[in-house]
Amino acid sequence: MADASTLVPLTVAVPLITAALLAAVSRWIPRRGPDLAALAAAVAVTVMSVALVVATRDTPIVYWFGGWHPVRGVALGIDFVVEPAGASLAALSGVIAVASLVFSWRYFEEVGHLYHTLVLTLLAGMVGFSLSGDLFNIFVWLELMSVAAYALCGYQIHQSGVVQGALTFAVLNTIGTLTLLMGIALVYGRTGALNLAQIGESLHGHPPGGPVIVAFTLITAGLLVKAGAVPFHFWLADAYTVVPAPVGALFAGVMSDLAYHTFARVYWDGFSDALAAHRDAVRDALLVLAVASILVGAVMALLEAELKRQVAFATVANGGLVLAGIALLTPRGLGGATMLVVVDGLLKAALFLLIAAIIQWLDGGDELLLHGRGRRRGGVLPGVLLAACGLGFALVPPFGPFLGTALAVDAAGRPWLTAVAACGAAATGAVFLRAAARIFLGWGPREDPAITREPTESREGEPEFQPNDDWKRVGHRIIMLAPPTVLVIAGYVLSLVPGVADWFTSVAHGITTPHRTAEYVLSGHLPPLPPLPHSHGHYAPGGSAWACAAGSLIGSVLLAAASLWWQRLGRVVRRVLLVPVAALKSVHDGAVGDYTLWFATGVAALGAVWTLTLR
Amino acid sequence: MSRRRLRLLLFVPVAAVLAGVLMWGLVGLPSFGSPPHAYAAYLLKHEVGQRHVTNIPSAIVFDYRGWDTLGEELILFTSVMGTALLLRRGREDTGERPRDKAASAAVRHAGAFLVPVVLLLGIWTVSYGYLTPGGGFQGGLICSGAALFLWIAGSYRLHRGLTPTPLVDAAEGSGAAAYIATGLAALAAGQAFLAGFLPSGTVGSLLSGGTIALLNWATGLEVAAAGVLIFHEFLEEYIQTVPNPSPRQEER
Repeated sequence: MADASTLVPLTVAVPLITAALLAAVSRWIPRRGPDLAALAAAVAVTVMSVALVVATRDTPIVYWFGGWHPVRGVALGIDFVVEPAGASLAALSGVIAVASLVFSWRYFEEVGHLYHTLVLTLLAGMVGFSLSGDLFNIFVWLELMSVAAYALCGYQIHQSGVVQGALTFAVLNTIGTLTLLMGIALVYGRTGALNLAQIGESLHGHPPGGPVIVAFTLITAGLLVKAGAVPFHFWLADAYTVVPAPVGALFAGVMSDLAYHTFARVYWDGFSDALAAHRDAVRDALLVLAVASILVGAVMALLEAELKRQVAFATVANGGLVLAGIALLTPRGLGGATMLVVVDGLLKAALFLLIAAIIQWLDGGDELLLHGRGRRRGGVLPGVLLAACGLGFALVPPFGPFLGTALAVDAAGRPWLTAVAACGAAATGAVFLRAAARIFLGWGPREDPAITREPTESREGEPEFQPNDDWKRVGHRIIMLAPPTVLVIAGYVLSLVPGVADWFTSVAHGITTPHRTAEYVLSGHLPPLPPLPHSHGHYAPGGSAWACAAGSLIGSVLLAAASLWWQRLGRVVRRVLLVPVAALKSVHDGAVGDYTLWFATGVAALGAVWTLTLR
Repeated sequence: MSRRRLRLLLFVPVAAVLAGVLMWGLVGLPSFGSPPHAYAAYLLKHEVGQRHVTNIPSAIVFDYRGWDTLGEELILFTSVMGTALLLRRGREDTGERPRDKAASAAVRHAGAFLVPVVLLLGIWTVSYGYLTPGGGFQGGLICSGAALFLWIAGSYRLHRGLTPTPLVDAAEGSGAAAYIATGLAALAAGQAFLAGFLPSGTVGSLLSGGTIALLNWATGLEVAAAGVLIFHEFLEEYIQTVPNPSPRQEER
């Protein structure tokens, strides 16, 4: 069995066994041992995942653990269905884990093997989550990555804000995973199957009925909690604020967006057939959530002064765009969404590591506090990187986020969605352009009543540093700035690969043909892929894509300028502006009970709407 | 109206809608006593013939769906690592531990009697886990209960002394690693990951099951150690609240 399929179990088993062995022998290995072992495992995951992307370019790999192949259409064991999109996301997890581990090398003063163990289990969970073809197994990997993430989030537990943020994260996500589990139980009760392909086949040709619709609602809500879609996003900002930045790179870069992709797979493989008659109802409900995420995330990101909270809300807004791409229920929309997950993931991970470097160098993570502090030697590279991330989010053609968004927007063909996407991109871009201008150029005022300023503990979740000492050493600066630089370059360059948009579309086409996958999974026979509908050769961004990019680029520069100098407006205008700002912020108040109420309201609304429209 | 009251007031209608949706889903499920699904029917018919194991849930847990169990075992492992990370970092080292000898002779004697009994029960539950109801998870947890009895019957020092952290740490890591290594061994033997590559033995004997027996023991070791480590961390939190008697009081 020397073929590529042997790599499939290893992508999860290698990081896990490394973690277990680290825990077993940690006492007897030198201080840098865990660093090296974890780094080697993460590199191995990356290399294997990339090999799997290459190996599955024509036919997906179905791997049955324990060698239990299905008998007469009944899955006995658990399978991983490796196709290029899932393998790409596994590779993305690996790349960001490598960057994060390299960064941690110098970031923490003292960090024991427990940290590395948890990063490795988080990585293994993310890889399993993106490859698994079994609904319960997906839940297992979701749990594994969640448990590791809760602990890592509370790393600086002696700070009170950290306890609160990590606890909110744990409570809300546990509610989410339990909701997902309840949905899985309903599906199992109705179909007797946990395998996605088998679920899809056994629901084929019947009206969906109560259990399936309710199960779909619960599974959607459970996964969207992890993904951070409005109104399930509340934990996200609180958790991101307190997570140590190298781990935050994993959270923002992959963990959240993976749930969107897994949702897409669960929908197509398991439910798309049963709900085929109600595609419009599914699409409309998801689009409402997507638009709400884009708008709330974008506005809230603009209203934060703390860099990590800005990334958190930018993640919500970007995630909304990803969900919009998925919600179109077309191959091109899904292709754009997957591409956005990858490219935005690289940029967000870079951003988080960059913020960590800024916190360590300038002794703070709040843009008002850091006003003009970056105007000194060595400030050019961080400033340029921060602005580059901002421009990336603002959809500068022809780079990554632009191409992904263009795919989704062109697939939609709805002018209002183009406008919403442009607004969201403009705002998320403006946030980081503003931060770069304020910190590294000293533009704008030092005080701003519209964006929060928390005078105490502006670097929650981060270790204590002796500021500026290490930073003078070139080696230290290289280790701190190389990972974000590489990630930004990767995010930008990826879209220059010829035919990358077509590649993502054809990969998505494979996911949106569930019957073909199911036949391959359950009987081992792979029917030919039907041609992509409405395919006109190579993809080139259309008119609405260019309009979206132009709007968001101009908009982001204007918005950045406006949010720097808005206080020069008249007093009446200022007062009028501050009222809705205060209202929106008071909703994100950090109270777990309120967040849970929002969650329950979201599930109830989704459930009620789908109960009425999908039957 | 306080925020709490308002929240409750809003929650009631939301919960009502949610309950209605859930009920609608539950009502459509197959009713009690309906014939088993294809998967259950297949396993009931073929499991013993295929895997030579009389406890069918164990065969599902450690073989057919052994990959899930690997994930679940690692969830437990990760929770313990996470607990250790959070509590060890959050705790200040107090140095001297309090003397908390069990005061009552009845508790001491009953507890001391129960330590070997519980340990034996745990080991039995693990070792017969694939023949009769039981298994690595259940038995491992019972074994870790014996360590708790050491504290109840003896003292915190005894509990920590007889379960040295380096040893338990190593046991936990090796238990988890052994599970994965069994899967890798199947791969090395030219079969699928976690495939039952060892001979299945005679039905009903302790030597049945092949890899199921190995995975069962690996899980037992991991779960027992994980339980003990969690007790360590939580007891350490608790013990700090026990006032430390000053030496002068002890002399009296």
